[in-house]
Amino acid sequence: MERRLIITDERGEHSVTVFDDGRVIVDDAPIVTSIAGAGEIRLGPEGSTVAWVATAGEMRWVFLNGSVYELETQSAGRRRRRATSSHSSLSAPMPATVIRVEVSPGGHVRRGDTLVILEAMKMELPIRADTDGTVTTVSCKPGDLVQPGVPLVEIE
Amino acid sequence: MTFRRVLIANRGEIAIRIARACREAGLESIAVYSDADRDAPHTCAADRAVRIGAAPATQSYLSIDAIVEAARATSAEAVHPGYGFLSENATFAAACERAGLVFIGPSAGVIQRMGSKVAARELMSSAGVPIVPGVTATDQSDAGILSAAGQLGFPVLVKASAGGGGKGMRAIRDEQSASELIAAARREAIAAFGDGTLYLERLIDKPRHVEVQVFGDSHGNIVHLFERECSIQRRHQKVVEESPSPALTEPVRARMTEAAVAAARAAGYVNAGTIEFLLEGSGDDARFYFLEVNTRLQVEHPVTEALTGVDLVRAQFTVAAGGRLPWTQPEITRRGHAIECRIYAEDPAGGFLPQAGPLLVYREPGGPGLRIDSGVIEGGTVSVHYDPLLAKLTAAAESRDAAIARALAALKRFPILGIRTNVPFLIRLLEHADMRSARVHTRFIEDHALELLTARDTPVEALAAAAAIGPASETLPSSAGTPPSTASDPWATIRGWGR
Repeated sequence: MERRLIITDERGEHSVTVFDDGRVIVDDAPIVTSIAGAGEIRLGPEGSTVAWVATAGEMRWVFLNGSVYELETQSAGRRRRRATSSHSSLSAPMPATVIRVEVSPGGHVRRGDTLVILEAMKMELPIRADTDGTVTTVSCKPGDLVQPGVPLVEIE
Repeated sequence: MTFRRVLIANRGEIAIRIARACREAGLESIAVYSDADRDAPHTCAADRAVRIGAAPATQSYLSIDAIVEAARATSAEAVHPGYGFLSENATFAAACERAGLVFIGPSAGVIQRMGSKVAARELMSSAGVPIVPGVTATDQSDAGILSAAGQLGFPVLVKASAGGGGKGMRAIRDEQSASELIAAARREAIAAFGDGTLYLERLIDKPRHVEVQVFGDSHGNIVHLFERECSIQRRHQKVVEESPSPALTEPVRARMTEAAVAAARAAGYVNAGTIEFLLEGSGDDARFYFLEVNTRLQVEHPVTEALTGVDLVRAQFTVAAGGRLPWTQPEITRRGHAIECRIYAEDPAGGFLPQAGPLLVYREPGGPGLRIDSGVIEGGTVSVHYDPLLAKLTAAAESRDAAIARALAALKRFPILGIRTNVPFLIRLLEHADMRSARVHTRFIEDHALELLTARDTPVEALAAAAAIGPASETLPSSAGTPPSTASDPWATIRGWGR
């Protein structure tokens, strides 16, 4: 049995085939793998390279030689279409205080623009647009204490 | 003044460090924990643990009442504050004294005096310790401040007189840009501290941050334990510390350590403390200026312990109990080089934003000359409530190069997965040519951000490892419409780190 996967990193997609005996073919390059322990993978014919892997849903975290890769895996057969995000809602990553709001409803923003500046843990944290679009809702004002997960700004 | 039972008023790696020292010194230890830390490693590191309140620090680790009450309830006789939280809070030290508890640190009076920048500066100046030339203009109008700046000589730094933390701080390089920057600094100062008074000092461009560990006892003895170079910072927080400082020549080291001892003596300092300096220039002509006193054990104290072989926490117990310093100045020697890397749950590519989440994989490296101080375990969760420091990796070896090589080899065997950390960033930092040749200053990370942060291609081995760990798409409903974890997080773009 072999499994065929699509693995996505920030640069693009890679097609990967995994065989039951641990051989893996990545973009036509063959690599031997074996599981060495919980979350620990040995690579190469002598198993001299070690990587650590953690699974979170379809996501794989890989630690190799001090670098960390965040990868998305999908079965090639059951490939779903990527959601095309036409709507984006931005929230605080942690409890924080709003210092400044830089946009107002109706304003146009570009991906990377600063929308709101928060303060938490003695640091200023900019909330940036993750997409180009129009601001539809601003639901915070300077001085507000905001909780993670609660939308601050919505963009369409 | 002797005590047998110590309450540790802190959490994370430092609470564990102190609990270990208690055990070694034959003292009973009591940990405190908030609701968020019920299962945290530090909670089971001491002999007992007491709940002190809800998750927000203001209701637990920053609550003087809750901590003094926990000490009373457990019949603790002494309190070790660690660093951060209440460690430099004079009111807390005074509350401990009032409750009959030995505060393991300097007296409330010393903490208060050294906590005031203006008072500390005046005291140091009168003790002959060099300070950065500066002035609070008597005429606080734009014109008055401009004229005071002209007298100091550009570039100058304007700061809020009333506070710190970078608020109200502006660098003014010439007269043209001055009035706008002065107005902005004043606005920020009023907003942050309710006081628009501005203080001016000469701006030292690309300084190094070098600090001296001092230690005093209640019998009038004061020693230094050499310096720590802490120039590698981001957002005014240290990331890598080492000793000896590669920037100090022996004559400058002698002058700086002597100034630090004089500063501690002038302050009437008892217990462990740190005198921070800015260092300008190089060679025997380098000049240093007093910055501030940290009236506590520092995060980076393992660097000094690795270099000199002393146990600073154990010495803190001895001195707090009224004993003499365990060492005289000539007995304190150093050998080789030590370097500490602070491992934070943060996203270096996303403005060093703190990260919270599960530690799916967390495996500490080991080996000769390596020390890991950590407050987390695999399977645990990093919460949003507290400082994102996960661990400190300290490597000691016979030379600076060997210590850096040891730290690098260890970092490359320190997998932490499930949340973003600065481990890959630290590796690039230690591998940077200017770091290897010790050409560093406090703006090093900002100046070299591009080289330190650029993402690199994912190697085929990483892709193979990701594929080898089991079938994809089996654990999530196939109807899941958005990529996991990234959709609502504006900083989270899937990103790999090259070596």
